Amino acid sequence: MNELTHIPHWYLSLGGMRLEFNSETLLMSWLVMALIVAFGFLATRKLSFLPGSWQTLGEIMVGTFQGLVADALDERNRKYFPLVITVFLFIWLSNMLGVIPGLSEPTRDLNTPLAYGVLGFFIAHYAGIKTKGLKAYLSEYVQPMFFMAPLNIIGELSKVVSISFRLYGNIMGGSIIIMVVTDLVYSLVLPPALNAFFGLFVGTIQAFVFTMLTLVYISVQTK
Amino acid sequence: MAFSTETWVQAASFLGAGFSVGFGAIGAALGEGYAAGNASRAIGKNPAMGGAILKNMLIGQAVAESAGIFALVIAMLLVFMDVQGAPMIEAWSLLASGLAMGLSAIGSGAGGGFPAAEACLGIADNPPTQNALTTNMLIGSAVCQTPAIFGMVVAFMLMFMDWSGQPLWPGWAAVMGAGLSVGLAAIGSGVGSGMPAGAATGGMARQPGAATTIRTNMLIGSAVSQTPAIFGMVVAFMLMFVDWNGTPAWPTWASLLGAGLATGLSAIGPGIGNGFTAQEASAGIARVPESSSTVTTTMLIGQTVAQSTVIYGFLVSLILMFIPREASETMVAWAAPLSAGICMGFGGIGPGVGEGLAAAYTVNRIARDYEGVGVLLTRVMLVGQAVSESTGIYALIVSLLLLFVI
Repeated sequence: MNELTHIPHWYLSLGGMRLEFNSETLLMSWLVMALIVAFGFLATRKLSFLPGSWQTLGEIMVGTFQGLVADALDERNRKYFPLVITVFLFIWLSNMLGVIPGLSEPTRDLNTPLAYGVLGFFIAHYAGIKTKGLKAYLSEYVQPMFFMAPLNIIGELSKVVSISFRLYGNIMGGSIIIMVVTDLVYSLVLPPALNAFFGLFVGTIQAFVFTMLTLVYISVQTK
Repeated sequence: MAFSTETWVQAASFLGAGFSVGFGAIGAALGEGYAAGNASRAIGKNPAMGGAILKNMLIGQAVAESAGIFALVIAMLLVFMDVQGAPMIEAWSLLASGLAMGLSAIGSGAGGGFPAAEACLGIADNPPTQNALTTNMLIGSAVCQTPAIFGMVVAFMLMFMDWSGQPLWPGWAAVMGAGLSVGLAAIGSGVGSGMPAGAATGGMARQPGAATTIRTNMLIGSAVSQTPAIFGMVVAFMLMFVDWNGTPAWPTWASLLGAGLATGLSAIGPGIGNGFTAQEASAGIARVPESSSTVTTTMLIGQTVAQSTVIYGFLVSLILMFIPREASETMVAWAAPLSAGICMGFGGIGPGVGEGLAAAYTVNRIARDYEGVGVLLTRVMLVGQAVSESTGIYALIVSLLLLFVI
C-alpha cells in the first residue's frame, strides 16, 4: 500500500543545483495535454453545418461554458472564457486517467492542483486590477474597516489553499478507497462500481467545482 | 505488569478501530433516518409516487452511508493490521487514524441526509422532476462526502506512513493532533455542505426551469463550506510531515496537541455557519432565479467573513507549531500552549455559526429584492458579522496572551 504515498522522481544536476521532477506526474500531464490537442484537432477538423460527433461534443462543451461565463462575468471580461474551459478540460481529463489501469491522475500529486490554484489566483487579481483600477482594488482590502486588512489578505490567500487541497484530497481519497477496497475484496465485484463513482462521477464533479470556483473568484474580483 | 511494545500497538489498533466505526456510525445513521422519515412524509402526501420515492430514498441513503463505509474500511484495516516490530509511536498513530476517520465521518453522514430527504419530498410535490431531483441529490451528497474523504486520506497516511524516524516525544502528540485536527474540522463542514444540497434539491422541485443555475450555486456554496475542513487537513499534514527531532519533548507535545485542537475545534462553527448561508442562497435562487449573480456574490462575501474564526485558529496553530518554545518541565510551560489551543478552538465555534446566520438572512432578503437593497444589506451584514466576531477575537487575544505573555 506504500505505492500511493510514493512519488517516482527524476533527478537532474544543473550547475550544482539538484533538480527533482515527479516523473509520473510529468508524463501524465503531457498525456493529458496530448489528449486535449487531439480532441481540439478532431472537433475542428471538418467543420460543417451538420456537425459530426466530435464537432457536436465540442459545441456542447463550448456552449455550456459560454453560458456559465456569461452568467458570471460582464461583457468586458468574457475574454476569460478560453481559460475557464481549458482549466476544466485539463482537470477533467486528468481525473479521468485514473480509471484506466496503469495510468494515474496528475491531480493526485498536490503540485498540479496547487499550480492551477496559484494560476487562478493571479489571473483573478490581475483581472480585478485591470477592471477596477489599482486604487479601487486596494481599497477593498480595508473594507469594512481598516483593521480588517490582514484578515482580508489571509482570506484571499486561503482561497488558493482551499481550492487546491479540495481537488487533491478528493482525487487522492478516491484512489485510496479504490485501492484499499479492491485489495480487501480480492478484486472481485466491487472495483468497477468504485471506479465509476470515485473516478468518473466524483472526478467530473470536482473538475467542475474547481473550474466554477476559478470563474467565481475572477467574477468577485471584477465586481 | 509490563507489556511489550507490540501489545501496546495491538491494543491501540483495536481501540482505533473501535473509535473509527463507533464515531463513524453516528452521522450516517442520523442522515439515513432523516431521509427515511421524510420519505414517509412524502409518500403520505402522494401515495401514487410511493415506488419512485422509496427507490429514491434507498439511493440517497446508500450515498449518505458512504462515510460510514469509509469508517468501516479503516476499522477493518486497523483490526487486521500487522503490528510486528512496530515502534511505540505506531500505537499513537493508529489510535489517531481511527479518530480521524471516525470523527470526520460524523458530519458527512448527517449532511448527506438533507438532499435525500428533500429529493423524496420534491418527488411527491412535483413528480415529473423525479430524474432531475435524483441526479441533483446524487451530486449534492457526493460533494458532501468530501470532508470524510479528507479524514480518510489522513487516516490512511497515519496508518501506513513510516513513523520510525519521528521521536516518540513529542511525535505522539503530533500524530494525535493531526488526527483530531482533520477529524473535528470535518464535522462542521460535512453538515454544512449538506445544507445547500438539500435546499437546492428542494428548490429544483419548485423551479425546474432554473435547475442549472441552482445546481451551480449549490456546488459553489457546498465547496466553500468545506474550506474549514481543508484548514484542518492542512494542519494535519504539517503535523505529520514536519520532522520533530531535536525539539524539546516538554513542552512541545502540548503545543502540537494544542495546534491540532485549535484548528479542529474552531473549524466546526464556520463549517456549519457557511452551510446556513449557502442553504439560503440556494433556496433564494430557486425562488428568484434572476437574482443568482447578486446572491452568489453576497453569499461568498458572507461565507468568507464567517470563516475568519477558523483562520484565527489556523494562525494559533501555526504559532504553536513553528515558534519554538524553551525546554521546561514546569506545569505552566505545558499548560499555557495547550490552553491556548483549546481556548481558540472552542472560542471559534460560536462566532462561526453566528456570522453564518447573519449572512444567511441577508442572502435570503437580497434574493427577494436583488435590485433594491443589496448594497445596504451587505453593509449591515458586514457590521453585524464584525460584532458577532468580537467573541472570537476575545478568544484570539486570550490565546495570544497565553502564548506570549505567560
